This record gives sequence, C-alpha cells and structure tokens, in this order.
Amino acid sequence: MDEAQAVELAQRAVEFARAAGADEVEATVSVSRRFHVEARDVTISKLEQSTGRTLGARIFTGGRKAALATSDLSDDGMRAALARAVEQAEVVAVDRFAGLPERFSGDAPDLALFDPSIAQRAGDGRVDEALELEQLVRRCDARIVNSSGSHYNDVVSITAIANSAGFAGAYTSTRASRSTGPVAHDGDLKRTAHYGTAARHVDELESLDAVARAAAERVTALFGARKPPTGAYTVIFEREVAASVLEDVFAAVSAANVAVGNSWLVDRIGDAVGSERVTIVDDGRMHGKLGSSPFDGEGVATQRTLVFDRGALRTFLFDTYYARKLGSASTGNSTGNGIGTNNFYLERGAESLAQLIAGTKRGVLVLDTIGFATEHASGTYSRGARGLFIENGEVAYPVDEFTIAGTYGQILAGIDAVADDLRFDSPVASPSFRVAEMTISGN
Amino acid sequence: MLDESVLSQILNRALRRGGELADVFCERRGSLAYRLQDGQIHDGSIGVALGVGIRVVTGESAGYAYSDDLSLEALLEAADAASLIARTSGEGGARETLPSNASSPRSSLYDAAKANGVAQGQYVALLERADVAARKFDPRVVAVNAHLTDELQEVWIATSDGVFVYDRRPMITLGVQVVASDGKERGSGYAGDGGRTSIAYFNAHSPEELASDAARIAAVNVEARPAPAGEMEMIVGAGGGGVLLHEAVGHGLESDFNRRGTSLYSGRVGERVASELVTIYDDGNLAEERGSLNVDDEGVPGQHKVLVENGILRGYMQDVLNARLMGAASTGSGRRQSFRFPPQPRMCNTYMPDGQFAVDDIVRSTKRGIFAKSFSGGQVEISKGDFVFMVGEGYLVEDGKITAPLKNATIVGNGPDAMTKVVAVANDSRLARRHYTCGKGGQYVPVGVGMPTVKISSITVGGTVRG
Repeated sequence: MDEAQAVELAQRAVEFARAAGADEVEATVSVSRRFHVEARDVTISKLEQSTGRTLGARIFTGGRKAALATSDLSDDGMRAALARAVEQAEVVAVDRFAGLPERFSGDAPDLALFDPSIAQRAGDGRVDEALELEQLVRRCDARIVNSSGSHYNDVVSITAIANSAGFAGAYTSTRASRSTGPVAHDGDLKRTAHYGTAARHVDELESLDAVARAAAERVTALFGARKPPTGAYTVIFEREVAASVLEDVFAAVSAANVAVGNSWLVDRIGDAVGSERVTIVDDGRMHGKLGSSPFDGEGVATQRTLVFDRGALRTFLFDTYYARKLGSASTGNSTGNGIGTNNFYLERGAESLAQLIAGTKRGVLVLDTIGFATEHASGTYSRGARGLFIENGEVAYPVDEFTIAGTYGQILAGIDAVADDLRFDSPVASPSFRVAEMTISGN
Repeated sequence: MLDESVLSQILNRALRRGGELADVFCERRGSLAYRLQDGQIHDGSIGVALGVGIRVVTGESAGYAYSDDLSLEALLEAADAASLIARTSGEGGARETLPSNASSPRSSLYDAAKANGVAQGQYVALLERADVAARKFDPRVVAVNAHLTDELQEVWIATSDGVFVYDRRPMITLGVQVVASDGKERGSGYAGDGGRTSIAYFNAHSPEELASDAARIAAVNVEARPAPAGEMEMIVGAGGGGVLLHEAVGHGLESDFNRRGTSLYSGRVGERVASELVTIYDDGNLAEERGSLNVDDEGVPGQHKVLVENGILRGYMQDVLNARLMGAASTGSGRRQSFRFPPQPRMCNTYMPDGQFAVDDIVRSTKRGIFAKSFSGGQVEISKGDFVFMVGEGYLVEDGKITAPLKNATIVGNGPDAMTKVVAVANDSRLARRHYTCGKGGQYVPVGVGMPTVKISSITVGGTVRG
C-alpha cells in the first residue's frame, strides 16, 4: 500500500462512519513494514518480517465521542466496527470540547523522515549486521561469555489521516536500530547491560563497533559493585537515565494530566520551577529526527514549543481537546487518542560528562534505573539504580542495589550542570545532568 | 477462522525450506471499553484484532511473520517470510495431517458464552456505582476515574505436529482510581478486579466494594508520611504481595533465559534457592483467573507447575521451542500478546501456598519494618536478580505495632537474597483481586499473582527520611 492508497482507505472509513450516523469523523491508517533479526553467538536466532495495517478512528455524534482501533480493514469489517463505535457513543456524556480541530496542517517543509536505503535494503546485509555486532561485543572483553542477543531492526511506516472536515494528509517515515545485550560473569554473579542506537537514517546510526564497545563498557563497569552507604549525595544522571526523567517531566506538562489534577505542575505556569540551566523544548519540526512529523495525530501542524525557559515553566503541551478545556491552543501534540511528545529534550550544556564528574566532590553517577512512576500528582521520584560512586572528582567504585529518591521539583531546581552529550536516539532525549543533592538509600 | 485445508497449505509452505516445526496462530479479538471521569462517561472505545501469525522453528532459531490480510496470497507470502529462517538447514519438517475440526478443551476454565448479550447500560451502571461509592466513602475524595473493559479473544492454533485447537477466552476488567485531598496533601488509591469471566462477576464482587477500597487507600495516602531510607524488616501483604514472587523469582524461571544461560537460576534445578518456608506454584488451571488458559498460545493445555518446593528449585516454565532444546516438555507456558508476536515462555497465575504462621504474630515479631500491603508495580533484572517494587499501600511497623502509613516507598533488593531471608509465611494465602499485566520483550499479557502474608528479615527501603 502506498501513501495515496492509505489516504483513500482513510477517506473510505470517514464515509462509512458518516453513513453510520457520525457528525464528525477522523480516520488514521497506519501501514508498517517491520524487519527484525536477532543473532546469538554464531546463530540467527530470530528473523521476523511482516507488514501490519491498522485503522484508528474517532467519531463524534452530538458532542459524544468514541474511538476505534481495528486491524480488519475489509469494507465489511470497517463498516461494522464504525457502526458499533457510533452506537457506543450513545452512552457517552455530551462534552462541548469534543470534536475535530478547526485548523489543519498546510504544506510542511521536507523533514527528511524517510531513508530510501532502508526501504531497499535486502535481508542478507541486515542479518550480517546482527551477526557482526554479536561477534564484536563478545570480543570486547574476555569476561563477556554470553549474550541475550544482538539486534538489527527497521521499519518503513506510512501514516495517513483523513477527516470529515476535508483534511487529508500522509507521510512516510523510516526508523532503524542496532542494539546488543552482553552477559558477563562477575565471580558467581551474572551481569547484563544493554546498549542501542536508533535513527531515521541508517547512516546516522552509531557504528557496530561503537555500539559493541558502549555495551561492553556498561556491563564491565559494574563488576564488584556494592551497596552505597545511605545518605544525601550529588547525583549525575547519565544521558539515557536523564531521558527517562524527561519522560516523567513530559507526563507532568501533558495537559491531559494537568486537566485532571494528576500533575505536580498544576497552577505553576510562570513559576521558576527549575534552575537557570533547565531549558526544555518540544519540537516536531527538527530535520530527520525520530520525534519529527509534519502534523500530529489529528492533522494539526507540529511546531517548536518552549516548555521551560531557563527554569521557568512557560506552557503545558496540548492537543485540541485539552486546549479547549483549559482555554489554550493545540501545540501539535495529539497522538490521535491522547497527548504525546514530538522531540522533547533538555537543551545541552557546554561541559563534558567527564567534567561533570571531575566537579563532583561526593556523589553517584547513575548509569541505569529500574522501576517506574505511577503517580504524577505528588511528583515524587523513586527508582532502583546502579552506577558509579564518585569521590573528590574521580570514579571510586561501582554501586548497585540502591535507590535514589526525591521529587521532580527538587531534581529540576537542583540541576547545577548540564553536559554536552545530547543525542536524539529517541523522541525524548536529554544530555547528562547533575543534581546538587538527592537521597540515596543503600545500607 | 481459516479452514483446515488452508491451514495445511500454510504449514506446508512454511516448511518448504526445512525446519522441524511450524505453527499457525489465528486470532479474532473484540473489546469494548468505557472510561468515567468527573462523574460522567467520558468516552468509549472499540478494539478489533484479526490476523494470523506463522512461525517456523529450526533448532534454536525461529522465523516469524504475521498478516492482517486474510487472503490466501497474503498468508502464503507470510509463510514464505517465516520460512526464510530455515533456508540453510535443508531438513524436511514433520507434516502431520490436521484433524478436520479444531478441538475445544474438554471442560472450559471459563464460560465465554456468559459474555453474550450485555446491554451497554449495564457497563455504564457499574462505572457510575463505583463513582458514587468512592465519593460517599470519604469527603476528602476529589476525583474518581474508573474504566471498564470487556473483551473476547478467540484463537485457532494449528501445528505441523497435527495439533488443531480452538479456545475462546473472555476477560473483564474494572478499575477505579481515586484522588483524595485535605486541602494540603494529596493521596491516590487504586483498586481493580476482574478475570476471565463476564459482567455477572460484579454481582458478587460489587463495584462499591472496589471503589471503597480505592478511596480508603487514597485517604490513607493523604495522611501518609514520607518513607524512611535504609535497610529494615519487611512484611509483604497477602494477595497483592505476590508481585514479589512474580518479579523476584518467576521471571528468572522462564525457560528462554535458562536455556540461554542468562538467568541466575540456569542449571540449578534441584538446588536450594530459597528459605525452606518458600514454595511457589504457577498455575494456568484456576477457574476464571486472569492468567488461566485452557490451552496456551501454542496449543498446549494449561498446567499446574511446582517451581520451588520448600526452598528447592523444581522446574522451569517451558514453551515448545525451549522445551525441545532442553529435553523437556512444554508446561503450557507459551504465550503471546497477539498474532503480531511469536510466543515466549510466560507466567500464568503465580502464587505461594499457606504457611504455618499467624499474621498477628508476624506483625508482633517485627521491631522496625515496612508492611507492604500491596505493590503498584515492579521490575526485575533477570541475570543478577535485582528487583524494584513500588508500594501502593504501605505502613511503618515499630515494636510490633503498625504505626503510620507511608507514602511512595520503593523497595529494592535481590531475588535470591530476599528469598533466603523469608523467615515467616502466614496461613492466609489468596490470589490478588487486581488486574495485573506482565511485560516482557515488548509483549504484555494478563497474569495473576497470590501470596500469604510473608516476612523478610531485611530489605532496602528507598524513601527520603533517614535515621
């Protein structure tokens, strides 16, 4: 299926829904051709390739809304599901904010979302890449004796949206990634680590050698790790862990959470929430980045939005519904059924991660966290972690089986240094940053 | 969904380049969901999944492809894509003849027929009753969000070994999230329930009961104080405490990690891995439970498995691929999120049976510790066994008495270490009344967990208050 056929299918769904009684309809057709290969030792352990198609639709009748997701794209299948969605809307309460946007995206500049070489790549080269990465990572260090697999993935996606207000648009994008998960023996213990790289263009991926070395360094860095003493320390969040903190910051600036009081940032617009070093941007129009697209999930043009400006909270992020509800305008952050990021990132600083470490008297460099937040209302942060203990500006010993705790407010306000290692290998990205003090719980 | 002759064609095509085994997983799934917010039904949604997944296994390698286009041409193309894994092996696969009709399990663990003919108003009424009950429970309740999902999954599984089975799996879920506030502090609480059953389940397990429980936890959390930081004793509550078993032990006993030697439990069957008070089962055969399966997603009947018995490791949870390579039999643990995913060995309902202790004695014997009545989530790293749990409802225990509710405690520990520190197991084992979903390798499947009240002599609590 090409872009034009996907648009046509979305338009057909809009017609079916109108015929079933919907006032307004939006239909999104997604077509993804996915390839995945996993190598373990000298064997291709997994080889997966498929083309998947889904239809997502939102229907509005008299201010009542219902949504639909289906992989049955036959005319009969679409008709039946859309009719059921129209019927389902009957029991939904009337909501004056529900409905399609008023303005849609016009022509967008070429955002370089598509790498034709991915669409043309034959299976063999990709398979060899996974095998080579697996060999490279095992050769990095004699203590690496096993692996949970080395992977190459790519996907070519078509996204087409049509609605009853006359908007129709489509774009094609690609994504490729390489990753590996070495396992090393540390005495009687087994240690694992994982490292990966992803980009819209194959030639922007980190090299196989760089991925193997980064993964190997991660797994061996923790050899001999012990629990740190419980106390208050400076904490440096290495860039991937830093990005996971940014994901939670995004949840708190998502108008969907703000509107229901499920955010610690409710009523904080204009406040100096973070330190001077905290400038956070959501930008859907960056050239060739994973979080870029010409329009969002409801056809609204994406844009660059300054969310935190040198610590001050400037705005929340909106889709059309929550913009109406909270008296604002869409920032182009609709996912179709909620609010999501474009490229959401903390602006980089001038120092290297090594300089951040050198400037730390007593602290922990966090390399990995486990656990996840379930509540954004209080803004409490607590994670299991592993990393390196720092004394007098130098790495002293590895640490694991401890937790870091505090609040997101304390983290943003406490950021006293931001590194220069920002890399857009995910839609949510961050350079490493340092927080003056947090609670570490070990023994 | 597809007839036996089409399935045979697909299996033959999948094995034409070689391979020892091929299977076809056909799925039709329909779901209805409603969300309540601000006392009103905020929206509804419908989900339909229809598609076919085809797998070819050769040695330790698997090729996989799926299609949501059910034309013969598209299905054969998917079979070709799956067959590519075997292009160098040259071995001919086994080709049994399929029976002309898919067999259903002899006696079903769940009655899918009960799900028929429910009027929309019945779903809406459950959500509205939950909303009213939560607000009535405590005047500090400021927000109630509730959701209900009713789903029916039908699967047809055919294998080159001649298995051809059909299963029809219902699932209903009701969840209530409550936020309470006294004007200064906010607290939230969550309660959820359901299983492989129908809306009739909520006649005996009322939405009022569920909503009151969520409101009670929210109110407790308004008064909760910040959790302490450091090592202390831990009491894990009956039911929901079973998340501990799921994370700290369960994942490490899935056969893929053990066949590959990446789990800390690899090659340790017959060894002591826990205190002798610890026995752990995984059971796919419990009536109407969330993790139960008449047949798994490879067509193997669900089973009761002894994972750990009096502290000794007894066995792993096996799917077909890993069982073949380990010289074992599948334990009916092959599960997948949908036709878009190949099967993996997974847990069903994981629980610990009764021990000898009384709960009161366990609390009385605790000098300083945390009583984690329920967990809101957890995660484990399977090679070294380090885990984290987020406590949903927790209390401080001092000198044998429960003294204060604790806010946002995180527990961090190591699976085998924690299991050797189990010093008491109470006689109140039960399955959690909660809808847990387990994630692994990007696939999410419903599971059950259960546990009696258990005491662990030392664990690290990750709060902010020192001393």
